[in-house]
Amino acid sequence: MIKVANKGCIRRLGFRSMKAARTRNIVAVLAIALTTVLFTSLFTIASSINYSFQQQNFRQAGSDMHGSVKDLTWEQVEELRTDPLIQEGVARMFLGMPSEPPFNKSHVEVSYLEPAAAPHYFCTPVEGALPREGTNEAAMDTHVLALLGVEPEIGAEFTLTFNVDDNTGTPIPVTRTFILSGWWEYDSAIVANHVVLPRSAAEEICALSSGDPYSLTGKWSLDVMFKNAMNIEENLYQVLENHGYQGRDFQAENYLDIGVNWGYSGAQLSQNFDITTLIAIVVLLLLIIFTGYLIIYNVFQISVTNDIRFYGLLKTIGTTGKQLKRIVRQQALLLSLIGIPIGLLLGFVTGNKLTPVIMAQLSYTHTFVSFNPLIFIGAALFALVTVFLSCARPGRMAAKVSPVEAVRYTEGGKTGRKKSGGRTQAHGVSSGASLPKMAWANLGRSKGKTIVTVISLTLAVVLATMTYTFANGFDMVKYLQTKANVDFILGDAAYFQSNFYSKDEEVPESVLSDVTARNGIEENGRIYGKVSDIEQFVSEEWFRTAWSAWNSPEILDLMVEQAQKVGDGLLADRVGLYGMEDFPLSLLTVLDGDLAPLSDPTQNAIAAVYLTDDYNASIWGSHWAKLGDKVTLRYVSQREYYYTDTGEIIEDLNQIDPNRNYNARAAVYEDKEYTVCALVNIPHSISYRYWGADQFVMGAEQFKQDSGTESVMTYIFNTTDEAEADMESFLAEYTENVQPLYDYESRASYVAEFEGFKGMFATMGGALSLIIGLVGILNFINAVLTGILTRKRELAVLQSVGMTGKQLKSMLVYEGLYYTILALLVSLVMTVCLGPLLGNAVSGVFWFFSYRFTIVPIIMILPVFVALGVLVPLWTYRSVAKRTIVERLREAEA
Amino acid sequence: MTILETKSLRKIYGSGEAEVHALDGVDLTVEKGEFLAVVGTSGSGKSTLLHMLGGLDRPTSGSVIVDGKDIFSLKDEALTIFRRRKIGFVFQNYNLVPVLNVFENIVLPIQLDGRQPDRAYVDQIIETLGLENKLRNLPNNLSGGQQQRVAIARALAAKPAIILADEPTGNLDSQTSQDVMGLLKVTSQKFAQTIVMITHNEEISQMADRVIRIEDGRIRSSHEIVRKPEQDGERG
Repeated sequence: MIKVANKGCIRRLGFRSMKAARTRNIVAVLAIALTTVLFTSLFTIASSINYSFQQQNFRQAGSDMHGSVKDLTWEQVEELRTDPLIQEGVARMFLGMPSEPPFNKSHVEVSYLEPAAAPHYFCTPVEGALPREGTNEAAMDTHVLALLGVEPEIGAEFTLTFNVDDNTGTPIPVTRTFILSGWWEYDSAIVANHVVLPRSAAEEICALSSGDPYSLTGKWSLDVMFKNAMNIEENLYQVLENHGYQGRDFQAENYLDIGVNWGYSGAQLSQNFDITTLIAIVVLLLLIIFTGYLIIYNVFQISVTNDIRFYGLLKTIGTTGKQLKRIVRQQALLLSLIGIPIGLLLGFVTGNKLTPVIMAQLSYTHTFVSFNPLIFIGAALFALVTVFLSCARPGRMAAKVSPVEAVRYTEGGKTGRKKSGGRTQAHGVSSGASLPKMAWANLGRSKGKTIVTVISLTLAVVLATMTYTFANGFDMVKYLQTKANVDFILGDAAYFQSNFYSKDEEVPESVLSDVTARNGIEENGRIYGKVSDIEQFVSEEWFRTAWSAWNSPEILDLMVEQAQKVGDGLLADRVGLYGMEDFPLSLLTVLDGDLAPLSDPTQNAIAAVYLTDDYNASIWGSHWAKLGDKVTLRYVSQREYYYTDTGEIIEDLNQIDPNRNYNARAAVYEDKEYTVCALVNIPHSISYRYWGADQFVMGAEQFKQDSGTESVMTYIFNTTDEAEADMESFLAEYTENVQPLYDYESRASYVAEFEGFKGMFATMGGALSLIIGLVGILNFINAVLTGILTRKRELAVLQSVGMTGKQLKSMLVYEGLYYTILALLVSLVMTVCLGPLLGNAVSGVFWFFSYRFTIVPIIMILPVFVALGVLVPLWTYRSVAKRTIVERLREAEA
Repeated sequence: MTILETKSLRKIYGSGEAEVHALDGVDLTVEKGEFLAVVGTSGSGKSTLLHMLGGLDRPTSGSVIVDGKDIFSLKDEALTIFRRRKIGFVFQNYNLVPVLNVFENIVLPIQLDGRQPDRAYVDQIIETLGLENKLRNLPNNLSGGQQQRVAIARALAAKPAIILADEPTGNLDSQTSQDVMGLLKVTSQKFAQTIVMITHNEEISQMADRVIRIEDGRIRSSHEIVRKPEQDGERG
């Protein structure tokens, strides 16, 4: 009851006394704003990355709608769409897919989209418009246009053949000529490419369907948005139920198929935030709270110390400790009300500027700015928590003030009652009043303030040094060690995604000839990849070792039992095989032996591939074959299936008895024996890029002759220095627009990748150091400012007893310099002590990092800090010195 | 009726050779409505005594009983609350809250207690002290005498059991001192207040009902000021 009643009075006291402390308020608001900037930027970046990840998922999923109901008639679409649960419902009618080249490797769907559905399917034309009804217009993306060989120009005419009833046994090919009404950019994240027709044309084509009930041609799907992304599946079931359908049992009546957009599922989102990211965010949060604490605490601590008389007086006339704490807290809250909104705004801007820098390093194709209100709520909450944490101790100090002490303070209006202060002066005088000594002693008068200020400055310097050390420690030589020493690597896009498995991923001669027709190619060669069924033979022990990484002991036993055996107790196992022309062979690291025999197919020579670790050292246990070993490879042209119990061969795979165990083995094959002529390492950038089977390298001729295949996995080449830039831009354009299924890597792209990665660290660390540096400097300014203002009378006394203005200024400058120099010294010590520790930790995470001790940032910051140490005290003193000594002496007495 | 009583009050600062007996066994009784002056030289222990009486500082031993309550049996927070309800302070330096205006300063202890000021009573005090026209002023805009009158009003407003005045005229010239003392006496009588005042000024002390002299932490003498009733009347 009491607490409620006296609140108004406490509030008034808090508010009025706050108005009296203008400088303190400005510094505090700035400090709170900067702290909030840090929180908001962090949250904005995290949220934008998460949002972009979600958008990426939507593109892979095909749409950004919550869910869909599939295989509907138009009547059903109209009926379901009215459901009150559905906030937005858009429909699409599927027609068919082209399957003949050039579409055999792409997923292209021909359909009608309601205009409202287009943006949800990422089909908004950047040029032109969606097709008009009653015309033969069509709209599509640049990828489909490229496959058709049509220039993206509105009004272009082209012919497209696709299948109606595509999913049935009897697809009906339809060929139509269309006029391009609009197009949008190809997005590699989107799996399905759309060709959009007007409804009139779509319905006309539908009529060609055989009417097969299983045909998807002419089927509608309804994509829906609910109020929110919670319980999408339940909502979909509910919608069906509301209209007399069900979606749970596909054999029961009134079944409709539903789909939930997996892009929305929580599991997908949380995957993005693994434990490392989480730790990084928590560490950053703690760092920001600490930074904020250092300054806000200092500001309030100084302010309470200066106002201790005021608090003592309030205590004397009956203000309780709790009420005093409330006064301090309330002032902090009011200052937060001003500081936090400013910080939120600035932080959002900063975050959005920084997000693209990070996003460029993550393989997302799109960067989206997330404007999630949670960012602001979260940042504001964290900032408030920091503020309250920071003013807890000053509040306790105000609450604990002894009333007698306060009365003493007021006796005779003496302000300089600090014991150490008196001693300092005496000390200074006795030793000849050395200004540096006096200044040093002055810093010692409030050790807490000095320490906090120095730590605050130190934090920024250490962070800047760490950032510099990081960014410079990324070692390009180490980074490029895993890359083959070659200018360009051309391959199928799937190869670069570690997905080379079959002839589908080969580079055809047509593409190769486009590239080789260019000028300036010097050394070059093909690497052929394994696309046929080839086996090697290994000991049971090796078989178990190799497979144990992925399989439980029980499964291993089963695998050994089922593996095909040959003489000497050897087991058939998979194998990785390369066929290399001379240039790629020259890029291998030969550990032992000689590569020369590989180029002569009559020698039946083969090289065994040993793996390397992240630091490019050979792992000697990674292959069984030693120099001179005989290796038998089995080229299988036909396999047969048999029941394991009886050994009975299964003639018709469609008649297989699922209740019996069966297995496959080579039936028609050819074995060939080779001699290991060399042990080699393959640079990762020209290897299969995935782990698994033991690998061997053959000469190209031998490979083609023995395997009977010649699928080019990669074509690697150097160019003349002059032609390099030209080739780079040619390949960029070629793989983007002409042959988007193929991709390339170049030395320049590695360097750019490396520089980008380094740049991300430099930018992020730089931004963080800059803001924390601002906080530190603000803290320093506040410390100097309050230090001079509260000693106004004392300084006047010093002058009245004969200290010249110049001497006084020197003393103050010494004080300022002590702060900044001390901060630099502490930073230096910390860099020397912590640098190697952190360096080792970072090299453990980034294999291409080499720690190099550096104090360059500290040397670079030195002049800035010296200037601050000199200028801030002088600038503050100037405002004090405007008044005469007598005025100042009197004022302090009042 | 005894409103204030101390029993063997001792306060020792420091220890060993540096030990200072600021109070060395003070037994004192103050009756309700009495105006007591405590005189003594600088360092005699009179300020320490006042701090003890007001619960601003804790004694080494002994007790202070205000209105029947041993105040040092209370914890700090409870003592603060007891103080704002039962004790009014008037300091040499006035100790007004600079950011609050005169009226707000006067009612501050009451509001801190979560009570509504008794407006009629407060108005009466304000009128008696002649502060009606200064209520909206901030303390810095007042003269010393005016500030001390505000402080007296603040001390009275909460209807405390006793008012403790620490050199209330220490910063004032002699004419203003006389005026302020007169007002202090008049208002205390009018509102039936008990006053304990510290002063080193013999002349000022003569306006009290009783004067005790304190030396080296002990009460050396105590005597009633005998004067005719009409003398008071003349002054008022």
